[in-house]
Amino acid sequence: MPRIQFIAADGSEEFIDAVVGLSLMENAVSNGIEAIRAVCGGNAYCGTCRVYVDPAWRAVTGEVTEMELPLIEATDDTTPGVRLACQIPVTPALDGLIVRTPLSQE
Amino acid sequence: MDGNSAGCPVHQGRDDRKSAKVAEASADMHTGTRVIGNFVAARDLLRSPKMRQAGASIEHVDLSKPDEISFFFLDGEIHRKRRAAVAGLFAPKTIVTRHHVVMNRAIDEITADLQKRGSAPLDEMSWQMAVDVAADIVGLTDSDSNRNLAIRVRKVLDASIRQRKGFFSKLVLNARMLIAVGRFYKHDMLPAIAARKIQPKDDVLSHLVKENYSKRGMIMECLSYGGAGMLTTREFIVMCAWHLFDNQPLRERFLSGEESDQFAILEEILRLEPVAAFLQRRVAEPFEEANGTALKEGEVVSISIRDANVDEAITGPCPFELDPDRGKRMKVIGPFMSFGDGPHRCPGAQVAMHETRIFLDRLFRLPGVRLVSAPAVSWNPNIHGYELRGAVVACDPA
Repeated sequence: MPRIQFIAADGSEEFIDAVVGLSLMENAVSNGIEAIRAVCGGNAYCGTCRVYVDPAWRAVTGEVTEMELPLIEATDDTTPGVRLACQIPVTPALDGLIVRTPLSQE
Repeated sequence: MDGNSAGCPVHQGRDDRKSAKVAEASADMHTGTRVIGNFVAARDLLRSPKMRQAGASIEHVDLSKPDEISFFFLDGEIHRKRRAAVAGLFAPKTIVTRHHVVMNRAIDEITADLQKRGSAPLDEMSWQMAVDVAADIVGLTDSDSNRNLAIRVRKVLDASIRQRKGFFSKLVLNARMLIAVGRFYKHDMLPAIAARKIQPKDDVLSHLVKENYSKRGMIMECLSYGGAGMLTTREFIVMCAWHLFDNQPLRERFLSGEESDQFAILEEILRLEPVAAFLQRRVAEPFEEANGTALKEGEVVSISIRDANVDEAITGPCPFELDPDRGKRMKVIGPFMSFGDGPHRCPGAQVAMHETRIFLDRLFRLPGVRLVSAPAVSWNPNIHGYELRGAVVACDPA
């Protein structure tokens, strides 16, 4: 299981053992990462599962997709590396991934 | 499924659902289609690209003209693009920064009117709230009044969801529909379109004007976004109010809780009482469920939201009991399947949650607020959902 690190806005860290095949958001919610709200359930309709992918991992997770863009724009969140966790499928290649979470998802 | 959760040792199988009986009585209407009530199977199916929209009289829709039909009937990339183009209007940040203003203004008027009259039908109050909010998001803000807008939208929706057999009935219905749509277009859409050609706003209609939608395309899109939001939120508000009136501890928790706890309460009510009970999908490519069941191409399946929402594998024990801590404890998104799932998940889900929370928070803080008569529950087979009529609330005069 890929091990993924979440760093909250206050600097606290949590590690999860993620299930391959599920999205990063689904893994975060099922492991109790409270900074991930995901009110739309993972359909890229709400923008409340935003994460900031560590610079070293952006090439692996890929750039923000066309599907995510309108929601990210609606949040006015221009933080580098911003992605919707529901649109990042967890694969074995993400073992060691580091993401940060925003202070607020609104 | 009955409401007796046998085997629950702690709560003796308490069933808090108010719409269960009438929903169960309507279950036979899906005879002939495979009904899926397992939560995971339902979610997999709704998220699968092998499924197409079905039900809602889609067989009468000409899918070869996507520019003239509602996004609701579309699938795939074109559906995604249409949804994405206005998705920001339904995002939580937009709701808080923009739509809360409209919601608060609407509830100011509604509560002032209630205090003046002494009592009022609850579904009329919830309808006004739903109309005011939906009208602002869609961009129907240049009508003579929102009350008249609401009447015209109701007439269009009533005509469009009524299904009658027989040539003459259909003819009459079509004539009524044409008249209703014509009035709606003339009195509500035309002035709004004209205003947006001069000064675009951040709403659905401004987007449609900018993208040069046809008259028919604009009508369909506005009715889809606006009508769906109005019809369903109206019922949801009444249902939540009914639960809160009947359950004093729950009401006290709602009024003393933070927003997040208020949402948890509303989501749990919605889990038990989803406004829409069924969704239908047509299998476009052979599909195998996780349990190995094969679905054939062309088959239409019915997803039972009510059953999926009480699937103990997801809800934990006592699935018929109203337990606002359930979602967090089970690490599931609060409303479970109540807003659907996958690409067609309800775009206005968060809007509905916020306007319901604001409506109820204000209503239950009115001095002397009380339920004079409980609503009667009936079933609307055309939208596969319950209707709550006849509830009357009263409060002390201002």
